[in-house]
Amino acid sequence: MFDFLYQSGWGAFVAMLFFQLPFLVVFLYVVYRKAFTDPSPSDIDDKRISRLDVLWLTVTIVLFTGVNLASVGYMPTILTAEATSSEIDIQDIDVTAQSWSYAISERQLLVGRPVRFLVKSADTVHGFAVYHPDGRILFTLMMIPGMQESSIIHTFTEPGEYKVRCLEYCGVAHHLMQDKLIVATSDD
Amino acid sequence: MSNIATYIQRTPLFGSMFRIDKSTGLEDINAWPSLMIMTSFIWLAVAGWLGMVMPVTQILGMQSNWFYMALTAHGAALAFPFLFQLMVGISLHRAGSCLGKPVTGIISALIYCFMNLGALLLTVAILGGLNISYAVMYPLPVVGVELGQWSMDVVILGFTGLALVLVSVILLYPIQVIRMLFFGSAQEELLLMPRTLRDPSMLGMAMAAFVLLVMGTPILTVAGTVLLGLYGIVPMAAISWATEPAVFQFAFWMFAHNLMEAMAIMVVSALYGTLPLYLADGTKKLYSDRLANLALWILLITSVTSFFHHFFTMFPALPSTLAYHGNIMSFGTGLGAAVTIFTVLATIWKHGIRPGAALMAVLMGFVLYILDGVSAIITSNVAWSFQLHGTMWAGGHTMAVLAAMSLMWIGVLCHHYPVMTGRKLSDKLGYYFVALYTVGAMGSAFAMLAGGAAGMPRRFADWNQEGWMIYGVLILIFGLIITASLLVFAYQLLKSEDIPDAVDTVT
Repeated sequence: MFDFLYQSGWGAFVAMLFFQLPFLVVFLYVVYRKAFTDPSPSDIDDKRISRLDVLWLTVTIVLFTGVNLASVGYMPTILTAEATSSEIDIQDIDVTAQSWSYAISERQLLVGRPVRFLVKSADTVHGFAVYHPDGRILFTLMMIPGMQESSIIHTFTEPGEYKVRCLEYCGVAHHLMQDKLIVATSDD
Repeated sequence: MSNIATYIQRTPLFGSMFRIDKSTGLEDINAWPSLMIMTSFIWLAVAGWLGMVMPVTQILGMQSNWFYMALTAHGAALAFPFLFQLMVGISLHRAGSCLGKPVTGIISALIYCFMNLGALLLTVAILGGLNISYAVMYPLPVVGVELGQWSMDVVILGFTGLALVLVSVILLYPIQVIRMLFFGSAQEELLLMPRTLRDPSMLGMAMAAFVLLVMGTPILTVAGTVLLGLYGIVPMAAISWATEPAVFQFAFWMFAHNLMEAMAIMVVSALYGTLPLYLADGTKKLYSDRLANLALWILLITSVTSFFHHFFTMFPALPSTLAYHGNIMSFGTGLGAAVTIFTVLATIWKHGIRPGAALMAVLMGFVLYILDGVSAIITSNVAWSFQLHGTMWAGGHTMAVLAAMSLMWIGVLCHHYPVMTGRKLSDKLGYYFVALYTVGAMGSAFAMLAGGAAGMPRRFADWNQEGWMIYGVLILIFGLIITASLLVFAYQLLKSEDIPDAVDTVT
């Protein structure tokens, strides 16, 4: 479940709805009831409201903390540490983005072997987003020229053709700035 | 002041909506604000039309230049000359009527002139080919010249316009607010609803002014220096510290993010000021002023350094410490919002409300603001950012927060409209407007967020890749609903009726 939540855009969408829907229901109910059905003041003492306030803020803090703690394992620092501490050899791939193409040192990759993408920009702000063959984003990086390279370690688990796209607006041919990576099993 | 009133009156169509009532003797708090508000809606008409152009260019398969031009112009017109200027006009009127200070003089005039002249120059530059999106994307303006995408002339024109807008936003408006809050004596005839800085409805205004001034000075310095270099007043070699992309990017996002947060603090403050005036029991008090002020302080402190979330995907160029800090602070703003939600609900439940279209606009705008806030803090989590940054999710969040704040400010405007113009608005038309706008804004927001979840990039002139066009069509449909709502709103303003004793309506 956590893989779905934190490693896909739709997981983020589901998490968003989890927070939004209860708020929407409660807020609209209160507004509708006190505006149109029963606008008279409610007979509720301040102590009770205060207790509700504490409960509400406690739940909010617990949920926020939980959501973020659960995401730690999916942050680049942890993924990088896991990959570098494993005994599997990491393949380094250098990428230079320049309007409007990529110079990629190696486009043929293997399933199961960690790949460290070291990406930099030669001219303006660019992005390097890798898409799974089914269309979802695996990860996206942003590069500002003149700064240290952006990098991420990713292990491809399925063979296929993975599209690369720029997600940082970089001019009139931004939508054409694409490339691809070919991931194969070791038998291929 | 009479000149301004005459100028408003003579403006075709929009003048009829915002002409002021000179008989109240309140021109000193009505004239400049009305002019600013009227002009903001002229820009909204421009921005709205451009918003429609974007999906149409994609659906009809038009040349990508048209899409990128509409994208840049739509964002630039919406954020500054529309929404920020709307906020400036309403907030200065509120400040004037709550502090008894006139909105007159050279600063008010310069706020207006710099904002609109700057926006005009920027628009001309965009029409001349400067397609850089409203986020400037430096060093794209300069790289674009090198690649022959546009000329250096439009870069200089665009940066000049941007500089004028930034001076209006970062220097002139905050100075005017600070001047009204802390200096000068109150004039009794202007003091319609006395408030102090201890009041949540004024505290947010002060906070926003200082945030803009402090967090905006770096980008003003950098952008101003670059402009001097572009004009050849100083050699470019001597200002390389300012022309470095990283310097501009960090200064820009430090300001741009806090601009949005400052506007949010202002509008939450305005909500705190407006809601109590519609309570059923007539107490005119929030459930707790202390809680309301606490929310504003949390929002202020956490928002200032949450801007690092714009750079998460530059790992490890952005040190992880700053990434985690940005993540925690961003969720901290959610805590401030949670306190606000409770204060609003507790107030409504305890005191009951007298429904009115103006209040409903403010409350539905607040609903949109919170729904958007959730989408924002999701993408401000480091792990999620690596799935969502640069996608339509980010674009959807931006659109949603602007739409939410627009609705809230329009609600506040409707509340103050009788005092400013001497006319009342139809509640029935107001309800239609609020309903249509809420549906349109919610629909387009969710269409964009879903598109982003599906991997659809933002600022991207080809929605046919990977089947994203369906999201584009939905964005157009809901955008048309927003347009319909704004036409209803315009009709509501045109059909407003004269009323006696308009001053009593604001209290």
